[in-house]
Amino acid sequence: MIRFFGHILTSVGSKVLVALSGLALAGFVVFHMLGNLQLFEGPEALNTYAAFLRDMPILLWTARVGLLGIAGLHIGLAVRLAVLNRRARPVGYAVREYRRASLSSRTMAVTGSLLLLFILFHLLHLTAGWVDTSFPDRLDLRGHRDVFGKVVHAFQNPLFVAVYLAGQAVLGLHLSHALSSSLQTLGVEHPLLDRLFRGAGPLVAVLVVVGNAAIILAVAFGLVRA
Amino acid sequence: MKFILNIWRQKGPAEKGRFVTYEAQDVSPDMSFLEMLDVVNQQLTLKGEEPVAFEYDCREGICGSCSLVINGMPHGPERGITACQLYMRRFSDGATITIEPWRARAFPIIKDLVVDRGALDRVMQAGGYISVHTGGAVDGNVLLIGKDRAEIAMDAASCIGCGACVAACKNASAMLFVAAKVSHLASLPQGEPERSRRAKAMVAAMDREGFGTCGNQYECEAVCPKSISVRFIAMLNREFLKATVAEPGPQAERPSDPHAESH
Ligand code: HEM
Ligand code: FES
Repeated sequence: MIRFFGHILTSVGSKVLVALSGLALAGFVVFHMLGNLQLFEGPEALNTYAAFLRDMPILLWTARVGLLGIAGLHIGLAVRLAVLNRRARPVGYAVREYRRASLSSRTMAVTGSLLLLFILFHLLHLTAGWVDTSFPDRLDLRGHRDVFGKVVHAFQNPLFVAVYLAGQAVLGLHLSHALSSSLQTLGVEHPLLDRLFRGAGPLVAVLVVVGNAAIILAVAFGLVRA
Repeated sequence: MKFILNIWRQKGPAEKGRFVTYEAQDVSPDMSFLEMLDVVNQQLTLKGEEPVAFEYDCREGICGSCSLVINGMPHGPERGITACQLYMRRFSDGATITIEPWRARAFPIIKDLVVDRGALDRVMQAGGYISVHTGGAVDGNVLLIGKDRAEIAMDAASCIGCGACVAACKNASAMLFVAAKVSHLASLPQGEPERSRRAKAMVAAMDREGFGTCGNQYECEAVCPKSISVRFIAMLNREFLKATVAEPGPQAERPSDPHAESH
């Protein structure tokens, strides 16, 4: 056991766990986006889907506790790595030029922290309902919680639209380096397939951001109405 | 040609450093970057000032001593070469050039532009020996190695240990260096017996020396004078994972210092 923790605390061991937990979170983000797209099928589809998720308390709470644990691991180890990295260069350069390192790769700690803020805001807003109390929890005609109405109500407010779009931008930046990077961290590399691996991160990031932003903008521009 | 040089001057390891501006006159475009610095130093010496300390040995791109960050880029603006192979014709006449040392906690400054890269040697020491039979020399071509393997090992072995990967990395990580060294021996039958131990010991030594962790930003590959591929970093990650799973043996063994008597 001590040996096991010894390996985790090495730089490569920590990176592997950051990568694995990050991939799990990314998997959740992708499915979350696909689920959200049911907004376009109307209130019935989205509310039934939401009820379906909530109606299985075991599944719901396993997922919640699991995600929380994974997010905690990811953040804890990522912060530790970021601290080690800061310490590794106490005096910086007067002139600095990058040839290869992308903006997204250089801002992982910043986008990660902003993402955490956004996730907290999102949970307090749409899951807990503390941020915006102007929309009372109500039931739709079938007796399901009216998630559709809640989402539409939120994105009719330009302030929420702005916050959520900013959140998507940050998510996109974090994901676009994260996915390809985690493949490298896990040692996945191939002379021919490397281009695919390096393109995978940006591609998935764009799909997630476009999917989520479509929902926000569709409501904001009145294409989807309550 | 004429240049304005902003050079980092620092009297000693504990001293506070600062940039000092010099003018380099009468520089021939065919001079190498180090020859240009020689000319500046000659003028400084004639004036009775302390010449700028910088490191070099071979001046032909094979020893890895010359370690200058030129205009924010380790080894300067040209790709795949060391600073000693950089020629002044690469710069425009009258340009301002900023020259800094490698910056990393693991590379303390000794003087001006000279840093102590002993950390890389200690990582190598931690890698340790390879097991070969003693006695009569082995006949040639006894151990046959596929061409592709030989090429991979040779690519990794081309690392000259200059430390530009550390200097370029935003996190001052030495992953490309360690990856090249681990991959080199892991690709060859001679490195096989100690393969797992080596990967773990070198990663542990790298962490001990205070290098940062790899962010997979690949800036290292872009400045490496030997253009060593970051694919070796993926290989090191694989080696480390395999070693951890297959032989979860002692982790941070400290190798005994073979040069203990000499210091
Ligand atoms: C939806 C949420 C998130 C997802 C999907 C995600 C995904 C990932 C992935 C896949 C990696 C790549 C690991 C690697 O380079 O091998 C990563 C790295 C990282 N994440 Fe996250 N992450 C999320 C949230 C966060 C949060 C909330 C923080 C911080 C407070 C954070 C901080 C970091 C940092 C600093 C790294 C870079 C580690 C390194 O390269 O050394 N992430 N993330
Ligand atoms: S002096 Fe030997 S590589 Fe530059």
